[in-house]
Amino acid sequence: MSIHRRQVLQAAGISLGGMSLAQSLAPALATATSPIAAGLGPRRFVFIRKSNGVRPKEVTLPSFSDAQKKADNDRQPLDVDLANHDLPEWLQQLETHKQHLCILQGLSCKMSENGHWSYSSVLGAYKSGRNSLSGIKRATIDFELAKLFPSPFGHVELSLTGNYSTFRTGIVSGYSAPAPHQRNYCYADPQTAYNELFKSVTHPEAVDSDNQMLAFLQGEENFKAEMLAGYEKQKLSNHVQSIEQIQERNKQLTGLADVIKQHLPELDAVHANGGQNASTPEKQQAMTDILVAALATGLTNVVTYTIDELSTPIKGLPGNESDHISIHELGHNGGYSGVPADEIRETIRVGHVSQVATIVNKLKKIPEGNGTLFDNTVILYFPENGEGHHSHGTEAPFVILAGDHCRLDLLGRYIRLPYHGTEGHKTIGNWYTTLLNAYGNPIQHYGDMDLEMSRKKLDQIGAIKQFMPA
Amino acid sequence: MLILRQLSALAMLVFVSSHTLFASQPVTIPPAMTDLLQQHCADCHSGSSPEAEISLDDLHELKLDDQLTVLNAALEQLHFGMMPPADADQPSSQDHQALLHWLTEQLDQQNANQLRDKLRRPEYGNHVDHDALFSGEHVNRPGFTENRRWLISEYIFDAKFNRILNHQVHVNIDGKRQFVTGSNKRRVNLTNPFLLPNHSGVRYYANETLNGGHLLTMLTNAKEAGAYMLYLAGRDQRYLPAVTQLLALETQHAKTLAARERFLNQHLETVLVNQFGNQHAKLLPAFQPVDVPAPIPNDGSVKKAPFHAANPGNKELELVFRSMQRHQADGLSDQQLVERCEREWFYHGHNPRTIQARITFLNNYMEEFRGQIKQHRYAEKYKPVEYRPLSESEMQTIQTTIGKHRSAGDRYDAIIQKCMEQWQQEFKQARIDAGPADPALVTELVQQLFEKILERPPSEGEQEKHVALATHFLNGLGNQEGVKKLIQTLILNTDFVYRSEFGQGDADQYGRRMLSPRDASYALSYALTDNGPDNELQTAAREGRLKSREDYEREVRRMLARRDLYSIIDESVHRPNDLSSFTRMPIREHRFIREYFGYQRLLPIFKDNKRFGASYDAAKLRLVSETDRLVDHLLEQDQNVFYELLTTDKFYVFHSGDNEVMQASADRIRRIYDYFKDKNWNEFEVEDLGNHKEFIAAEKMRGIDVSRLFKDRRYNPLNAFKSQLASFTLRLDKGQTAAAPYNSFPAHGMANAASRYGGRFQSPEVARFYNIDMADWDYQAIQPATVRHRKGLLTSPAWLIAHAKNTETDPIQRGKWIREKLLAGTIPDVPITVDAVIPEDPHKTLRQRMEAKTGDQSCWKCHQHMNPLGLPFESFDDFGRYRSEERLEYPENLLKKVQDKGAPHEDLRDIYKTLPVVTAGALSGTGDNRLDGDVENAFDLIDRLAQSDRARQTMIRYAFRYFMGRNETLSDSKTLIDADHAYLESGGSFDELIVSLLTSDSFIYRKPNPDTL
Repeated sequence: MSIHRRQVLQAAGISLGGMSLAQSLAPALATATSPIAAGLGPRRFVFIRKSNGVRPKEVTLPSFSDAQKKADNDRQPLDVDLANHDLPEWLQQLETHKQHLCILQGLSCKMSENGHWSYSSVLGAYKSGRNSLSGIKRATIDFELAKLFPSPFGHVELSLTGNYSTFRTGIVSGYSAPAPHQRNYCYADPQTAYNELFKSVTHPEAVDSDNQMLAFLQGEENFKAEMLAGYEKQKLSNHVQSIEQIQERNKQLTGLADVIKQHLPELDAVHANGGQNASTPEKQQAMTDILVAALATGLTNVVTYTIDELSTPIKGLPGNESDHISIHELGHNGGYSGVPADEIRETIRVGHVSQVATIVNKLKKIPEGNGTLFDNTVILYFPENGEGHHSHGTEAPFVILAGDHCRLDLLGRYIRLPYHGTEGHKTIGNWYTTLLNAYGNPIQHYGDMDLEMSRKKLDQIGAIKQFMPA
Repeated sequence: MLILRQLSALAMLVFVSSHTLFASQPVTIPPAMTDLLQQHCADCHSGSSPEAEISLDDLHELKLDDQLTVLNAALEQLHFGMMPPADADQPSSQDHQALLHWLTEQLDQQNANQLRDKLRRPEYGNHVDHDALFSGEHVNRPGFTENRRWLISEYIFDAKFNRILNHQVHVNIDGKRQFVTGSNKRRVNLTNPFLLPNHSGVRYYANETLNGGHLLTMLTNAKEAGAYMLYLAGRDQRYLPAVTQLLALETQHAKTLAARERFLNQHLETVLVNQFGNQHAKLLPAFQPVDVPAPIPNDGSVKKAPFHAANPGNKELELVFRSMQRHQADGLSDQQLVERCEREWFYHGHNPRTIQARITFLNNYMEEFRGQIKQHRYAEKYKPVEYRPLSESEMQTIQTTIGKHRSAGDRYDAIIQKCMEQWQQEFKQARIDAGPADPALVTELVQQLFEKILERPPSEGEQEKHVALATHFLNGLGNQEGVKKLIQTLILNTDFVYRSEFGQGDADQYGRRMLSPRDASYALSYALTDNGPDNELQTAAREGRLKSREDYEREVRRMLARRDLYSIIDESVHRPNDLSSFTRMPIREHRFIREYFGYQRLLPIFKDNKRFGASYDAAKLRLVSETDRLVDHLLEQDQNVFYELLTTDKFYVFHSGDNEVMQASADRIRRIYDYFKDKNWNEFEVEDLGNHKEFIAAEKMRGIDVSRLFKDRRYNPLNAFKSQLASFTLRLDKGQTAAAPYNSFPAHGMANAASRYGGRFQSPEVARFYNIDMADWDYQAIQPATVRHRKGLLTSPAWLIAHAKNTETDPIQRGKWIREKLLAGTIPDVPITVDAVIPEDPHKTLRQRMEAKTGDQSCWKCHQHMNPLGLPFESFDDFGRYRSEERLEYPENLLKKVQDKGAPHEDLRDIYKTLPVVTAGALSGTGDNRLDGDVENAFDLIDRLAQSDRARQTMIRYAFRYFMGRNETLSDSKTLIDADHAYLESGGSFDELIVSLLTSDSFIYRKPNPDTL
């Protein structure tokens, strides 16, 4: 089945609001263009990418009945109430949040990169040609959501990655994409993220000097524009308007100073200068604190966080504190200090879930309206590459947590969708379309088609209807 | 009263946002115009159900916004001759002009003329009448381009930053190290916001304006670039001498601090022992060993991670080695050695977790580490650092500071930290005491940064303002941050992101001025390359030798003849160790053909491997690279270029472009095959290989290391031997001319052929696009070579895939391309109300389904201009494979499921029912009765197009747009006719065409911008 052009145009018209390519890459400067999103108030999304896959069996429920277990094993559709079940061991820290939890099985991601790495493709539902710029086909889902819910930073990306032995530090290439052929940047260590995000409080002089520079540029370009006419004058006027937009955004940032002070996280000295001595769990914890503060202060409504990738050094892991662990080696079933690979993989996941639980717990304590910040937040924890270390993309289990105002009908449930290549199967394209539709972008379908589904002439367009708000 | 209900949200938004800046009173409609509208338009556009829901009733009473919307719609319809309809009474020419004039005037006054904006866009280029352009009727109109600023392209962005940041890339090409331009893999993390659209045709126009998204991205880029420029200035004082001088004190302080810190990290213990004597040991903290797990048993009972996955990285290994080197002594056990190292790390204050990791590593991998030390010759690389005290005064400072700060129980890192903090404070104060920067130096700074970033000196006014700004930044932020901020300011200046093309000097009788020499040097350089002017152009501009048409011609010819610059054609195809993607001709000359045909658009199209029957992803990169190679070849020949592009039957297929190397590679396989073919190799045992080891070694047979034969009992390369012999036999035993030099199996080391970069030559599956059966491939080592069923780029798989869909062909897009790019035709956008989906039907070909969908009158109005041109290409499927039968790929038509994996030569496609392909079509719009009419197939169509004057002239129109960055107008008529003549008279030289365009009035003359949008 193909997408109707009219529907695509309608969707694109609304989602982009007539913005040009480069404007569309700047959710920081956008204003809400979707009436639905505008009516919702602030909504937040946290995308947590993990490496090495999530094996479907890792998320099955230990308390399944025999029939449920068989259906799950046979990859038959399932919809189970979590309230009546135990969570897998590694998800235990989410036990108290079961009513806000969904374990979503059966999505496929074959139209993105699989194998070891997916780069930006898993969030864009396209093949990125490894990590080539020209392969970035569209703004990734996180940026599309960020456009619906603009904020001073627009979008924040964090990552804990490295070259197997040392962590990346500073501001480096990210994995999300603000627009076609554009690679985002990300903060690679907690100290850098802290310095950059909260500098209107920690380094106000940096913001001041930015503003002085912009004011100077504004004067210069206005001066030049006066000497031009017609279309050429308009070009410079556009430039001046752009400067004004950024000044306005800086003003917003300065205006948030008090809120930032209120939520400013404390960063341990071990994170100074890139924090090469910090253990992986320490880095994760610091990133979590920063992530929560970025949301709580209103600096951004969307955070994408690569909690690890195959080359992230794992140091100080409980049970293997003194080992230098390679996630890649774990994928090839290599153990450390006598601890088998599967056990270490589980410990790593427990560490991830501990961070997810911390985010939920913290957000639940921050008031917003008549409830808490968590009410308006959706957190997605998922594998960057599919169902294993060498994935084929036939399955990509998602662990989803969302608050009471979530616009998706899936919380409190374990859901297994029909398997890849069969009637009713859903891809990450369907899943992201669901998110966009539910939160105000009526796009008919987001992402590329699955080629096997196309070959079999199976319907694969649009949102997952059963998840959509009534 | 109604306005356009069906206007897209997008159009409304653009329109409203542009005109509201200047909004004023509603438009007054004079009686004469009211009469004209009533007479020719009101019949349809009034009443309760006006046509297209546009009503002219009570136009004068509408709000201004609504009025302007209607006027814009009217102007566009009139301009393009779409209204009144052909079957209605037409206004006189005078009335038509009067109405057009009035509408234009009103909309211009409100700065709301959408048509003016539209006509600048690439998709409206063909709206200028082709016959009028080439009739000669308008040759007396003086050609010119308006003064303009042209936003830089993605390529110029890269070239500019590569120049500023000294990013130079060398690639090994044909065995020689060559400098290449066009790399975007810089050490500095920059985001390119000036990306061009991905459509075929001309992608880079002077219409774009910088917006908030660009600026926000540039803000981050400017910060990153600024920091790196300071780093470069610190490394090389010739880079920006004023920065070096301005930061001299900071640099000196930083160097002193770094030297002290390095010295203390290496020798603090010696310093402390010397300074504190016996007291030193007493001042040390009590040693606290870290807990480490018991070593892994070495009996194989526990699976141990391999050394490469467990070692803590090269830096750590070096550090551990140096410690071991310091403490190694005769008779010391490993355990004692490790303990001494641990003490050292403890006293130095290393992180306990890091110490723990090191000891765990040493406990478990000492043997492997020693192997590594030996193998990688650590002892030679990391020689012991001898104690050499710093100068007397430095030692005095160090000892005094240590004496002041050392407390009992301090570890070394704490002592160093306290000392460093004191010295940093002292140096900071010293810089404050040194006073503000010398104003003359600040002026030099501004001048040098202008030259480095904007490639020109500042004007007097600019200098004054920027010196004031720099002084403000330097005083407020300190020298380092102040310089960075000034760099950022200049990178964000519009002069950095816009190219400047303005006339200078006396105006001629038509009000035109020649480009200023400086602007001309850039315009010429950017016409052919992505870089600013080379030395010769700069000199010519400086010495007043860019002031005449002859001057331009001299420089253009010189640049076109250059072959000493290597440019990467496409970063996403270029693989430094594998796939080559480079050209030696001016990159923009090559890029025009690439983008005009748009074959590179296949890159983001991903396809089902199963439908391809092999791995598509790798093959598609080779396909683009080899199509680029063909374009390069035809441009180098420079004879009948357009004709050859349309009709050549010679292609590159699995070929590097180096005939000598490819022939040698094919010959080598032939030698191996001939040598073994009668030797019953299939029955060989490993011992038999020994009888032929000299031959195997001489031919470097893949996967066989003869030096290991019989020395290593476990070494058995028999499989590798038999696999390649079986594969070579397949390639040659049917009487093939030569063997394609692809690999028989994956393995490390050299392949059966090398790429131009010296890497492995891979992806033979590219042959499948050309219907070549890899099990019976009559390989042509000398290429380009004739390929069956191909005629020109329109039958190249790259173009065919780029103009197809993921799972089926796209005759409409293929036809549209021909209509627009070869016949100067126009196709309106698909109306938003049209459902443009072709219904599925498992029993029909795509043609049949499409004809059923587009055959009705309302669709056919537009589709008649596309379908007959695109349908002849149905003889090629969506992978560009030639076919006479169309596979009906529906589950119900599956005849045979074929295995999913197999050898490279096996076709893994499933077998489906088929129907015959019908390739009939029709050509119209050439303006030549001999050519227009029914066509039999794609080859017939192409033959006719290749003979068409209009097709050639249309290509010239696109070349004009590419080199001028704008659409042509009637005043460019002479330029186009001259270019056509130059091309024809030179025997179809593309170079001559370029010379003609770049020396035309349209290129060299500029006129002021009219005071309207």
